[in-house]
Amino acid sequence: MSGGTGPAARVAPLDGLRGLAVAAVLLFHAGRLGGGFLGVDLFFVLSGFLITGLLLAEAGRGRVGLAAFWGRRARRLLPALGVTVVATLVLAWAFGTPSVLLFALDDVPWVAAQAVNWHFIGEQIGYWNASGTRVFAHLWSIAVEWQFYLAWPLVVALAGRGRGGHGRVAALAAAGAAVSLALMLAHGDAVDTTRAYEGTDTRAFALLLGALAATAPLRRGFARVPAPAADGLCAALACGLGAAWVLTDGQNAPGLFRGGLFAHSAACALLIGLLAARPDGRAGRLAGSALPRRLGELSYSLYLWHWPVYLLLPDPVFALGGWGRTAVAIGVSLLAAQVTKTLVEDPVRYRARWASGRRGLLALAAGLAVAAGVWAAVPQPHPGAGSVDIGRLTAP
Amino acid sequence: MDKHHTTTRKTSRRAALAALLAATAVTGAALTGCGAGDAKDGGTKADGGAATARAGKKILWLGDSIAGAEAPPLAAALKASGVEFKNASSDGGGTIVEGDKMSAPIAKDTWKGLAKNIDAFHPDVIAYQITTYDWGSAEQQRASYEKLARTAQDAGAELVIVSAPPFKIDDFYKKFAGAIASAPKAAKEVADRSGGKVRFLDASALWGTDAGAAKAQRSSDGIHSCQQGSAAFAKWLTGKLGSAYGFTPAAPEKWAAGSWTSDARYGKLGCR
Repeated sequence: MSGGTGPAARVAPLDGLRGLAVAAVLLFHAGRLGGGFLGVDLFFVLSGFLITGLLLAEAGRGRVGLAAFWGRRARRLLPALGVTVVATLVLAWAFGTPSVLLFALDDVPWVAAQAVNWHFIGEQIGYWNASGTRVFAHLWSIAVEWQFYLAWPLVVALAGRGRGGHGRVAALAAAGAAVSLALMLAHGDAVDTTRAYEGTDTRAFALLLGALAATAPLRRGFARVPAPAADGLCAALACGLGAAWVLTDGQNAPGLFRGGLFAHSAACALLIGLLAARPDGRAGRLAGSALPRRLGELSYSLYLWHWPVYLLLPDPVFALGGWGRTAVAIGVSLLAAQVTKTLVEDPVRYRARWASGRRGLLALAAGLAVAAGVWAAVPQPHPGAGSVDIGRLTAP
Repeated sequence: MDKHHTTTRKTSRRAALAALLAATAVTGAALTGCGAGDAKDGGTKADGGAATARAGKKILWLGDSIAGAEAPPLAAALKASGVEFKNASSDGGGTIVEGDKMSAPIAKDTWKGLAKNIDAFHPDVIAYQITTYDWGSAEQQRASYEKLARTAQDAGAELVIVSAPPFKIDDFYKKFAGAIASAPKAAKEVADRSGGKVRFLDASALWGTDAGAAKAQRSSDGIHSCQQGSAAFAKWLTGKLGSAYGFTPAAPEKWAAGSWTSDARYGKLGCR
């Protein structure tokens, strides 16, 4: 969903994997694909792989520019996030119930602080099955990625320098993934599984397995696999992942927190490593074909938009329920994503005139003013008003 | 909206603005190129004061999140009736049954919390609503309810056990259906053998026994109650407690449409 900006990010099959991942999430949230939430896991592995590849390349050239790295991440991710969040607040005000608006207002500070996953853990959002009342429920994964982006570059900057840097980073990634798995096993038995599902520490193994696959020892291994065998392996892994997405019955499926998610992450890391090593192989060409790649390029904005659209769109919409409503919701999400990418993501990312230098600062100030204005203008919602009929209570 | 919530909102907005400014500073650096509680419990503890002096009772409320969804109007109704109330229910826990390997660790936490609440609150009545996690054999259930009765007695309090409302037995609860069915029977046996020290209240008189029926007043999750159902329960239980402990329940007009109806848990449940 949030790819890198360097050469590694432009590997077409990996863009294609992003497209497949976001499609799975969209279908899962529409109630059409029981294991589609595993697409988020694939996003995590992709992020770990791409970010670590970029950082190690920098470390190989001498020194990791941390401030520049964080600046690029902010430029890549925050503008679209900010626009979507502000627009969603306005839409929740216009079309949401008082509870939906109240939760949206409560969640915004946590979204802005990139820590909303911990807020949702505190709120036991999984226990209450409450994501249907939170327009920002999906942003937990963006928060996990940001927290990883803050911590992991420091590790790579320190351990990745000099001779043997790749080996040290690989060892740290593997050890970190093992600790993360242990934490997931420890938290996975709880009645409320939000801690296991949305914890940065419990989900870190996906990012770290991606990071592991980006190190030289693993890359050399992937490159040594003969082309026909690599294609066969990719096909087998894709079939396994596809089966998991179709057959897994929601986030409470048995075994998910007892190694299931870890196995999924490991399979994703293998697939990504093989595809990155041979992007022009049969499997690479298929994964990097036009449709998944286009979807992948749109995946970040699409991910940001889809959940608020799903929640705020009437049911039925234009007299359409079921698959009809799903199609409309996906269509609206695609449209909103394309507009956001064209007007916000790309200009800021590629430094359009209005988005760099002094003009960029002015644009930022204007955006901030709009955000503050919306924040101030949204009236206090009053959920629960009129919810009790006293006559019914006192009736004999 | 009550004052506490308004204050929270203002604080939240300040925090949000601060967070947005921080995020913006990072974006700004990038643009210019140079940078390349448990509140659920605390909120329902009724004010003691003069009202408590009138009725002179303090009720500690135990149970799981079903009891938690019933707590806001119960607090309002009891406070209006001059009774002090503390909600010690637990979301995703709350059982006192030291039963199977699933319920035993939850019970351990509940017992720890109960000891602290007894020390801090000094209840006259401990009211326990049987939870969806009272898993164990009928013998383990009886033993645990008897332990609760002894604990209450040692604390100088009376024990009331209320049966759980009917709730949807989904895939999660299916394997515990036997324990869920035996729990109220075990509690009634303990009450019958207690010589009047333990009261058992069968809430099926209010809810019926069919979770899917309108009478059960379940929210869309089939387990918890929304504001109307919770208010109905508060009226029913306050009436029972009033008869047992000699206070007059306040009329619903005095408490049923109060600020408790905006409690966040109803929003999470998708209620109005």
